[in-house]
Amino acid sequence: MGEQISRLMDGELEGAEADAAFRELKGPEGVASWECYHVIGDALRRCGEPTPGFSRRFAARLDAEPTVLAPRPKRAPRLPLVWAAAASVAAVLVVGSVAVSSLDPQSTVIAKAREANAVRTAQARPQPVSPDYLLAHQEYSPTTQIQGVGPYLRSVAAGGTDGRP
Amino acid sequence: MTCRRDRSGLARPWLRAALLAVALLAVASAARAEEAAAWLARAATAAQQQNYMGTIVYQHGGHVETSRLVHLFENGSEFEKLVNLEGPAREVIRSNGEVRCYYPDARFVRVESRTFRNAFPSLSTQQQAALADHYHFRMAERGRVAGIETQAWVFEPKDGLRYGHKFWADPVSGLLVKARIFDEKHEVIEQFAFTEISIGVRIDREMVKPTWPVVPPGWQVRQSGPGEGVAKETGWTVSRPPPGFLKVVDGFRRLHGKQEVAHLVYSDGLVAVSVFIEPVGRAPHPGGMSRQGGINIVIRQQDDNLVTVLGEVPAATVRQIAHSVARR
Repeated sequence: MGEQISRLMDGELEGAEADAAFRELKGPEGVASWECYHVIGDALRRCGEPTPGFSRRFAARLDAEPTVLAPRPKRAPRLPLVWAAAASVAAVLVVGSVAVSSLDPQSTVIAKAREANAVRTAQARPQPVSPDYLLAHQEYSPTTQIQGVGPYLRSVAAGGTDGRP
Repeated sequence: MTCRRDRSGLARPWLRAALLAVALLAVASAARAEEAAAWLARAATAAQQQNYMGTIVYQHGGHVETSRLVHLFENGSEFEKLVNLEGPAREVIRSNGEVRCYYPDARFVRVESRTFRNAFPSLSTQQQAALADHYHFRMAERGRVAGIETQAWVFEPKDGLRYGHKFWADPVSGLLVKARIFDEKHEVIEQFAFTEISIGVRIDREMVKPTWPVVPPGWQVRQSGPGEGVAKETGWTVSRPPPGFLKVVDGFRRLHGKQEVAHLVYSDGLVAVSVFIEPVGRAPHPGGMSRQGGINIVIRQQDDNLVTVLGEVPAATVRQIAHSVARR
């Protein structure tokens, strides 16, 4: 259940699978999962605590909005957009989904996520890639070859933090 | 027989004209692919074989770093000294296939005994076709960069799976004096540019020597390096590579004492994406996405292996590849 929604947020679902996940989101359980994942994400990003009943109030205000009658826009290629959104949350989700998959009651998850604030910095920071991997890659990268200095500029730039083992 | 030939399609002038047009288009496209490949090869050769020195500004994600670069090509070998001009000093010395990175504040030297590949890989016909299929290659404006009258060239991607590239070259030597990677909104992802450069000048070996002794007393030395790659079937593959990305490397590497790591490289002729597969056992390893300049990185655990995918492509492309790594 939660997994499909997690994958949806992660931009991994398409077509029928995505439709199924959207249907799931119409149910109370689906909404709870959705909310839960976002709480985790917010906690990890230290966005502050969501106020109780936020989604209910949001839905009420959305209902009160006038309906705009306009031609439906041509459907843009969906995948890249979804991917792009996925990229921004993925780092958080990776941590989040590990926490969620191992726990069942949502309140526990939320509590854990708040607790995780203390250790979050270390976990949520993107995993530094081994400089060896970067250099091994750049050996084969045509753009690097034409720039000549690319790989070293990057390592000098990264030198302050993870450029050094 | 004659009658039949008369009725055959080729006898109809409009069809002949259409076929000729198609053939001409194909020739033109092949010519453009060749032109792009030749242009890339010239820039690569210049970066390697010219003597030059100057100040480079490197920009990525809101950061700006300035470095001083001296490059010497002598008796078939490259010598290079790169020193950053801001923040804690970092010095990269490249000579005789060895790279030394000095970190004076930490009293630390990192030595990589490795040979950078010495020539730009000449692109196969297939790769040239991929290049022409997935980028519009065109000459752009002329203009001054670093005091030089340059010619700009653009590789505009035809889909969202790759970044755009713009290069400003010195028409005389072919050397790039500015390079930019941009996304679909034409926002700069990464850029390097010389603010001043001297090309084809006399450079002495003294000018590319490190500021410190080879191994300064009391400094910590770490020998490492990507190790020589061994071309060998790894048994791994990317089941759904993004269109245009062809496998150019399949082999193992030994990275500083680690066990063998499988290394696959996919390239569209302009950029490359590397896939590293490292056996790590069942214990969970942290994964995630990150970005370093124009390089997007995805790390994910797949059963007993840690899969690291990185390349000068948008995050979506790296992710797509990371999620389709499979045993052959």
